[in-house]
Amino acid sequence: MASATSRPLEYLEGLPGTTFYKLYQQPSTALAIFRRMLPDLAKCFVMALLYLKDPLPTADLEIWVNTESKKQRDNALSILGRLHILSTTLTGEKTRAYMVTNPFASSLRQALMGAEDSHSFGVFSQGPGETQTSIADLDEYARRQWEGVMGYMVGTSAFGGQRDMVNLSKGVKQLLQAGHLVEIRGTRVDITKDGFGFVLQDVNTQVWNILILYVESAEAIGMDSVEVLSFLFLLSSLELGASYEKKHLTSNQLRTLTDLADFGIVYQEDPDAPCFYPTRLATTLTSDSSALSNPVTGSLTGPASQSSGSGSGFIIIETNYRLYAYTSSPLQISLISLFTNLKYRFPNLVTGKITRQSVRRAIEMGITADQIISYLLSHAHPQLRKHNAGHGTSNVKGVQASVLPPTVTDQIRLWQLERDRLRATAGFLFKDFTSLAEYSAPCQYAAEIGVLVWKSEKKRMFFVTRHEQVAAFLRSQKGGGK
Amino acid sequence: MNSVDASEHYELGATAPSLLTVIIDTNPHAWALLEDSLPLSKAVANILVFINAHLACNYANEVAVVASHSQKAAWLYPSQNAPSPSADQDGDVTMNGNTTPQTNKYRPFRIVEEQVTRNLKDLIDSTTGDDLRSNMSTMLAGALTLALSNINRRTIAWAEEHGGANLEDAAAEAGGGGGGGAGGVAAAPNRYSASNEDERLQSRILIVSVSGSTDSAHQYIPVMNSIFACQRLHIPIDVCKLSGDAVFLQQASDATKGVYMALSEPRGLLQYLMMAFLPDQRSRRHLVLPTRVDVDFRAACFCHRRVVDVGFVCSICLSIFCEPPPGGDCMTCGTHLDVGDYHVRPALLPRKKKKKKRVNGASGAGTPMSTPTPGT
Repeated sequence: MASATSRPLEYLEGLPGTTFYKLYQQPSTALAIFRRMLPDLAKCFVMALLYLKDPLPTADLEIWVNTESKKQRDNALSILGRLHILSTTLTGEKTRAYMVTNPFASSLRQALMGAEDSHSFGVFSQGPGETQTSIADLDEYARRQWEGVMGYMVGTSAFGGQRDMVNLSKGVKQLLQAGHLVEIRGTRVDITKDGFGFVLQDVNTQVWNILILYVESAEAIGMDSVEVLSFLFLLSSLELGASYEKKHLTSNQLRTLTDLADFGIVYQEDPDAPCFYPTRLATTLTSDSSALSNPVTGSLTGPASQSSGSGSGFIIIETNYRLYAYTSSPLQISLISLFTNLKYRFPNLVTGKITRQSVRRAIEMGITADQIISYLLSHAHPQLRKHNAGHGTSNVKGVQASVLPPTVTDQIRLWQLERDRLRATAGFLFKDFTSLAEYSAPCQYAAEIGVLVWKSEKKRMFFVTRHEQVAAFLRSQKGGGK
Repeated sequence: MNSVDASEHYELGATAPSLLTVIIDTNPHAWALLEDSLPLSKAVANILVFINAHLACNYANEVAVVASHSQKAAWLYPSQNAPSPSADQDGDVTMNGNTTPQTNKYRPFRIVEEQVTRNLKDLIDSTTGDDLRSNMSTMLAGALTLALSNINRRTIAWAEEHGGANLEDAAAEAGGGGGGGAGGVAAAPNRYSASNEDERLQSRILIVSVSGSTDSAHQYIPVMNSIFACQRLHIPIDVCKLSGDAVFLQQASDATKGVYMALSEPRGLLQYLMMAFLPDQRSRRHLVLPTRVDVDFRAACFCHRRVVDVGFVCSICLSIFCEPPPGGDCMTCGTHLDVGDYHVRPALLPRKKKKKKRVNGASGAGTPMSTPTPGT
């Protein structure tokens, strides 16, 4: 999903080059970034170039890609460039050539081939008094913690029945507040628009968003973001169900570990224990959201759906906008109620209808149609997937058969568009021209360079997105006139 | 507003993981010839790095390695006796006692590496001199069959785990795949729609081949059957040819739209693998990959397993014979064939060149300009 990768990608792109240089020293970081952040084609490029002795001339790379796929190629190359993975150099014959930049290349090679002592992929704990924590326990812990965070944001207590309300640490609450996901007024917790968007995302995206928030806030309190980031990438390459030594970690990383334990991303028996366990939330960090293993989402949708066996989805939506959700989790029910008129509630099932009012209400709260649809999609019942995918209605190449009824998704979008009548464009207004001639020349110039948004000959005004070039044009006009 | 147009909403870029099955031809005779340029150990090391690269590409990518040895085909990974790691799609493996604190390698990589090297060593140790003397070729057909059955199993398991979108399809295809392929045609257009292709576990087979073709001619029929099964299931067979030439493998990659490369410089194996064989089906759409233009389409006869250019074909069951079957009875279907001239090889008549009929019936002297185009 585009939204799934964009947030961490955006954050990483914003980092300065020296940060990348430091980050890429670790093989686990190189591997995680390679795996998570790059599109398919970019991965092919990197791998093809990785073991080449000499840089690959740009022309050769262009020949390698189909002419119809130019867009994908440019996209891949631009992402690689922005992440400082690929750089262009000049070869001896003065041709431009691509090569994989060095700390990244050597780290990725190390990751693939194994290398000297770097402890980049964690150190197994093998203490004598090792109590094995089972994967099921870890899943349960992760589920409880993560659902606790979500529940805190949505305020599930209003729905009652939250038996094991998790005591969230102060750090978690502060982080949520700092990320503008919730606003705390006195004792009351109000979820913000961003927060609504957040809770409707799939788990993998949520974890990434939280982690990025965490890294940002870590910088604010003086922790080295590189250290925290590379630790996160290290976590993502650990193995579920195994315990790892703590003693190789730095003090900052230990601190991070404690904070992450509150979210259920790692587990430790007590803060002073010599080892820690990564949970599924951590080990699936580098997976695609669509390929995210079902146990995470499955276990996160509550115990009721866990018993239903394979498949994580529990929502069935019909073409007549009726929605059936096989869940008893108060969190999921309250999420669904954000954009649905709920009608009946049974021990393991709630039913409702998506209506214009309910969707508008959600949109007024700041939830977007895309968020609703992606929530429905990621929680679609296996039966729904099977049924609709089997029909394969679309014969357009590259277009997915829709799991959700297209009528419903389109209508949700249309309901959103009903509200989107205004669009704001930031820019600059040019006005007070003395003559029509004085007005029309810069206006035409602005149209030519493609920055013109709006113009009115009668009022002698025009509106542009960028003013620098137009101002320069005006100046040159004036200079010429004098 | 085209943002409301239904077709634009579903650019999810669903990234189904891919399952790579590597078939390593471990025929000792053929590797002995390559000893100077690329010994087996080095080749395996290269292949392992390539496998790691494949696993690195996607969290859920899977891999399977089969050895096509001289007397049998054997699993190298996942091995049957050890707890099968591919059963868990997370790549989570139960720690089987050996807690060697080697942590400089991503764990899934290490597990594959350890199993492959251990199983390969076992396989080579178990090979006796008698095996080598009695058999000069490689068990490609068996290896392909093993690979296909594993792919089938994983495809079904994967579809089950992920909403079961293609469960019936996968099962139905697999059921009809090995057979003649009758019956499956009716439902085909729906089944092979582009969207389903994307959602399924993307499987492909890579054959690292060293043996020559004439050695494997006796397996012609099973090999071709496997190739057709792959063709039906849309599994590309990539062929990386280190030495010798293999008629059937060229046909395999040609029929399944796979990549065929005969390496001129076997020492550069890793780079060839990384560049040409790593991209999965999705990326291949965007790339220009090496294929063979002049595919050798020769077949092996059913009677003596000879590779023939011109032969006799049973008009009933299309069996191929290098010479008229004894008594004129087809050895496959038993039909009595009325072969006119026994023991005479069919003469290849040069095709008569059709002369274009002149409409105006003019003699050769007529200028081309004067010829009116017919039908206008």
